[in-house]
Amino acid sequence: MIYFFDGTKEGFLTALVVAFCDENAFLTSKQKQLTLGEDCMFISADAQKAKKAEARLLQADKQSMSDLTTLLRSSDPNNAQIAFRYLQLVAKEKKPVRNMLANGDVVAATECMQRVTWELHRLKGFVRFMESASGALYAPLSPDHDICDLLLPHFRARLPEFPFVLHDVSRKKAAVYDGKNSFLAPLDRADVLLSADERAWQSLWRKYYQSVNIPSRERLKQMRGYLPVRYWKFLPEKFP
Amino acid sequence: MFDFCFSLRYNIRMISEEKLKILTEGAKYDVSCSSSGSGRKNVGGMGNGYAAGCCHSFTPDGRCISLLKILLSNDCIYDCKYCPNRAKADVTRAEATPDEIASLTFDFYKRNYIEGLFLSSAVTKSPDYTMERLLLTVKKLRTEYRFHGYIHLKGIPRADMALSREAASYVDRMSYNVELPSEASLRLLAPQKSKESLLLPMQTLARDAQIFRAEKRKGLFLPAGQTTQMIVGASPETDGRILRLSQSLYRKTGLKRVYYSSYVPVVHDSLLPDLPVGQLREHRLYQADWLMRFYGFSAEEIAPTEENLPLEYDPKCAWALRNMHLFPIEINRAPLEVLLRTPGIGTKSAYKITEARKYCKLEFEHLKKMRVVLKRAKHFITCNGKFYGAKQQSAIKGFLAAEEQSNSAVQLSLFSDGNNAQKALTGQL
Ligand code: SF4
Repeated sequence: MIYFFDGTKEGFLTALVVAFCDENAFLTSKQKQLTLGEDCMFISADAQKAKKAEARLLQADKQSMSDLTTLLRSSDPNNAQIAFRYLQLVAKEKKPVRNMLANGDVVAATECMQRVTWELHRLKGFVRFMESASGALYAPLSPDHDICDLLLPHFRARLPEFPFVLHDVSRKKAAVYDGKNSFLAPLDRADVLLSADERAWQSLWRKYYQSVNIPSRERLKQMRGYLPVRYWKFLPEKFP
Repeated sequence: MFDFCFSLRYNIRMISEEKLKILTEGAKYDVSCSSSGSGRKNVGGMGNGYAAGCCHSFTPDGRCISLLKILLSNDCIYDCKYCPNRAKADVTRAEATPDEIASLTFDFYKRNYIEGLFLSSAVTKSPDYTMERLLLTVKKLRTEYRFHGYIHLKGIPRADMALSREAASYVDRMSYNVELPSEASLRLLAPQKSKESLLLPMQTLARDAQIFRAEKRKGLFLPAGQTTQMIVGASPETDGRILRLSQSLYRKTGLKRVYYSSYVPVVHDSLLPDLPVGQLREHRLYQADWLMRFYGFSAEEIAPTEENLPLEYDPKCAWALRNMHLFPIEINRAPLEVLLRTPGIGTKSAYKITEARKYCKLEFEHLKKMRVVLKRAKHFITCNGKFYGAKQQSAIKGFLAAEEQSNSAVQLSLFSDGNNAQKALTGQL
């Protein structure tokens, strides 16, 4: 049976409760996963069921909910199913299972979470701000996983005096810091009026990038491994 | 109107592209680029330290850009034989003002191009003059620009120690490069530098840092410690000697890292080799260095004094092959220290094994599932009593060497960038 939920944590926890004893359960929130001919159940989030499940999981493992939020942010087509199998195990064992590293479900969950946290770490380096005429900073990005708001605390801590916008252009939303508060908001497209010096700084950065390279040791394959091409479109050093 | 004033102020301080190019090209052969190890907090102003370190970009040579690596000046009064900036070299000279460097750092950091600054300099006019300018730059950054991002400053040998000590109170990391692995080579190739002029400041700063911590003083003093760099292959010292030198530097001056830079001939001199040193040698040195710092090996265990590290396989394999009587080890019982000494098992895998075996008896298949790399390890372990490797030592040697060849291209490149190299290595040894 396929259990289709709305992608929220509450929706997931409700589905978890409903599907718990079904050995052939498959949880998903992604339309594409619905194949014709298979039985499908639409789960609508039930606050009470979710709360109960959450309490039970937290009792078994204090970190289980943060693991779940990480897993739900993943763009892996099977992420909900991976989370289901993992949390099912937590509930059955009644204790943390993340160190049961020889268990296939734990391995799958760990790797799925690692891909999310790894992209988060990478983006802390690959985000590029441009300065607007008003002095606010704007960074467009298009991450694999749904993490633009997770970048907020990092940049807020280092740029407390600059309002900034982290714009996930493909999910059409933005993590915003207005100089005091931070929040998440839907954002379709942004027109940014650049500051007078912005182009000059970008061009200096390109010059630096070219000068610090050692051409006689070229290793393009490695560079692409570390800096995958899909991230290039927002990096001024990679603009032609 | 306000905006206009703001940009005007920075325009005056903006470095020219030409100068940026000269001063970057003079600094780019320096290998250290790591931005890790400092948790400096933001106390108003801009920036903080990110203890884990962070790569912001990668250049076509596969190296990571973490810090803005630049010289204050490339106009040197010294004449180190191997250096493209030496006094007698025919190159375009440039010197940046402290404000040019500070505003460049500030504006690059603001746009998240970099994690901080790695500032170094040729000895221009005099050691004291150079150190004063460097000090002025980092002091400006911290106080006027209120910049709290990472700063790594190169110390100038023979400069007044008072200047270096003051500079150390503003930066996260300082380094004096020992340059060459012996006094004799130093005398020959870098005549104006001496062992004392390089070691003494390191020791003084190490002592200062100790006192600072012991007295629990407020603020920070070199939170990311000191590092050094030496050129490998410009002079005849063996790997065995080089590793002993590193070991004593780690033990006596509490250095965080020794960087090895394989010699690249940029200048021709009858005293210098004409060929570059293979990067494989540099790579082996890093592996050996890693074994000393994180795996509990001593230099003596890794290489005899007058020998180089074998190029066919990594130093841990080489050690294991010399000590076959200690193997195979049983994966379900061996203590952590023993796991760590097993070829192919890095810190990560060793940790996974010790955790996973609490829950079940580990078989070969389990290790595979846990993504422990077994190509090398299988010759040195048993899983629940069963052995999956080759029986004869000669066969093992053959397998290891073949495995190494298919791997070395990838590994080499993994080593060329500061941060990731270390991570990649843990799984590889
Ligand atoms: S002191 Fe430094 S910059 Fe000057 S020649 Fe020697 S290595 Fe080069």
